[in-house]
Amino acid sequence: MPANLGTYARFLTTDRGPVLAARRRRERVGAALVLGGTTVVLGALLVIPVFLVTSILPWTRLPVGAWSDLGVLLVGTFKAGICAWFVALMLGISAAIFSAEFAAPGFRRWFKPALEILEAIPTVVLGLIAFATLSPWLKTNVGTLLGLLIAVPALLLAAGMGFGARFQRIAGWLPLWLVPVLIAGVAVFVAWFGPQQTGWIVPASPWNAVLVGLALGLAAVPLVFSIAEDALMLIPATHVQAAFALCATRWQALKSIVLPAARPGLVAAIALGASRCLGETMIVLMASGNTPIADLNPLTGLRTISAELAVGLPEAAAPGGAYRTLLLAALLLFALTFVLNLLAERARTRMHGRVNRAMSKA
Amino acid sequence: MIRASWERGGTWLLGGAAATCLAGVAMVLWMVAAEGLAAFWPSRVVDVRLNDGRESLGEIVSDDGDWLIMRQSEIERAGGSYARIARSSITSRSKPADAFVVALADGRRIFGRGDVAAAESSAESLPAPAPIETTLWPNSLGFFGSAGVFLRQAGLFLVTSSAASTLAGGALPALVGTVTLVLLMSLIVMPFGVATAVYLHERRGFAVGLVRSAIGNLAGVPSIVYGVLGLGLFVRGFGGGIDRWFFSDRLPVPTFGSGGLLWAALTLALLTLPVVVVSVEEGLARIPPGLRAGSLALGATHGETIWRLLLPAARPALLTGLILAIARAAGAVAPLMLVGVVKLAPALPVDGEFPYLHPSRQFMHLGFSVYDAALASPDALRGVPRAYACALLLVFVVIALNLAAIVLRNRLRERYRELDV
Repeated sequence: MPANLGTYARFLTTDRGPVLAARRRRERVGAALVLGGTTVVLGALLVIPVFLVTSILPWTRLPVGAWSDLGVLLVGTFKAGICAWFVALMLGISAAIFSAEFAAPGFRRWFKPALEILEAIPTVVLGLIAFATLSPWLKTNVGTLLGLLIAVPALLLAAGMGFGARFQRIAGWLPLWLVPVLIAGVAVFVAWFGPQQTGWIVPASPWNAVLVGLALGLAAVPLVFSIAEDALMLIPATHVQAAFALCATRWQALKSIVLPAARPGLVAAIALGASRCLGETMIVLMASGNTPIADLNPLTGLRTISAELAVGLPEAAAPGGAYRTLLLAALLLFALTFVLNLLAERARTRMHGRVNRAMSKA
Repeated sequence: MIRASWERGGTWLLGGAAATCLAGVAMVLWMVAAEGLAAFWPSRVVDVRLNDGRESLGEIVSDDGDWLIMRQSEIERAGGSYARIARSSITSRSKPADAFVVALADGRRIFGRGDVAAAESSAESLPAPAPIETTLWPNSLGFFGSAGVFLRQAGLFLVTSSAASTLAGGALPALVGTVTLVLLMSLIVMPFGVATAVYLHERRGFAVGLVRSAIGNLAGVPSIVYGVLGLGLFVRGFGGGIDRWFFSDRLPVPTFGSGGLLWAALTLALLTLPVVVVSVEEGLARIPPGLRAGSLALGATHGETIWRLLLPAARPALLTGLILAIARAAGAVAPLMLVGVVKLAPALPVDGEFPYLHPSRQFMHLGFSVYDAALASPDALRGVPRAYACALLLVFVVIALNLAAIVLRNRLRERYRELDV
């Protein structure tokens, strides 16, 4: 024990002043570093709009045709964005409802990582597939695509109504069984229907808004899915059980309890999906043909703000009119996505507040 | 009864949507893997006789049912001798065993029939001769022979650097460019991301809400807008300023005032910041509060608790954030197009020359190679297979990183289950 006693004695008799001062100093430096880092982050968000606005001011220095050029780009951005948004919402929200309400827990556990892989795939790769593989097919098969859009849901509905009852046991893992059926069915349908519809609808360009919609829509599915599914999973199971106790069916509970309660979360998914579809660059650049046409026909080429920025800005001389127009386009894109993100952010906050209140009452 | 059957139908519709998503993932992965690997598989040499008596020797590069596109001997330049042949005009097709293909150093391919001497003489008798790179008799190769050629070509693609044209040679410069860029970006983003996460975790009040919504919004800003910021502010603003102050003797040739590795890394750091902040903060929030309270009770300051206890305990979360940021950065191509990626860089950004890392140099990138080979190449029939090969490499890197992040996340959960008593 003498050794320990000695240590203790030394501890009591040492002057702790300098040590404490050094610790306090380190503490202050650490706090300053953290605060500094955070300030830089906060500044990063502010610097984007500030930079864009200050570089295009004053308005009078914009070149003459700037606004009509922007109009063409805006039409293209919305045309591509809306096609993709439609695909992403159809697939993403339906899959989220299935995963949250009808799927077996085991299925849910690996379905999400599978979609996360899709999210991780660089969009330039999806653009390549759309450009090199999908567009030659779509050029002669727009009619087949329309046929698929009608036939697949109709057949699924009919199959579910017809023999859904016999497959109750695998209902929680349904999509996994449907994947091979779907792929085989689509292949047969394309082989049978493809030659029949030749010449029905001939797209004006092999690269068009429909093609962009398919590729970009698939790219936006994981985002829409994960936000919508999070919202649906937040609804307490007791609410649904209460509805079951009142003799509601699953779909009645879904329609009258779950969907209304999860509405803010679904709104957030829809808004963020739109923001993603409007701002994506590489898929649009590769699959849209990048032609500045302003019409509403989904089978013509288009040019979006993002594609124009990627191609045009490196060549535009810094203080010139073209540079200024492009920065105005960038500001417009930023403002559009910012409003959508803000909407989504507020909807998500409302969702969490609502769930917390419901939980505290229960 | 009727309601029940409608409901089952609706459930199948939703299940069908989920199945379509899965089929989409599977198709994308399959397409990239199949097309990317097929780019290295030796193609057969075909001898086609037409009904007008002509005969042509070459490889078939595309076949849409009615029309074939054949690559014949490229006498003058690569990509200069494609023939479009109607299938109905073909009288016979054969794959002669003695047909050879000579690959020249400048990317041209010469087809012919005969032995080694015939191959050499066919290459030497060209109006514009070039050194022979490989000579191959692909029709006489068995499966294992083809596999050997496949492995050699894939290996060469990984370890050699691009020749004068972007369509021949390997992807090494693009791979090195991608990796260097991403590592430099990690060095920049990690300190700021961790500092912000610690701030969000430790403080309460109005400013925290502001920072949190700023992070949320930064995550939703389109990547091309970051590119615009990088070009306008970093490259032309900061870079131009550095040039005026420190490198004025070299002007008007820009040193930092044109796109380069440093500015691209800074731009990507901004882009990936939200990913790091969110995952580190999540990691910090998972640490049981008792651990922290214990440390404070033993007399450690806040700073010491964070530095010695919380951050080490959140190390897997830091790593997850880093990996996710790297995966996101490796896939971001659009902003790079504005801040310094080029189709063919004269020199690598890292080399043996002091200071080893050259932050002002322009660089090549795998993702940009995909875009460039597919859309901007002079020879589209070579460009697309090459784009798929680059895409396969990129997808492989990104998915491997993401799987690592998922494994780490699961480990993290296990670890806190042990801690959580």
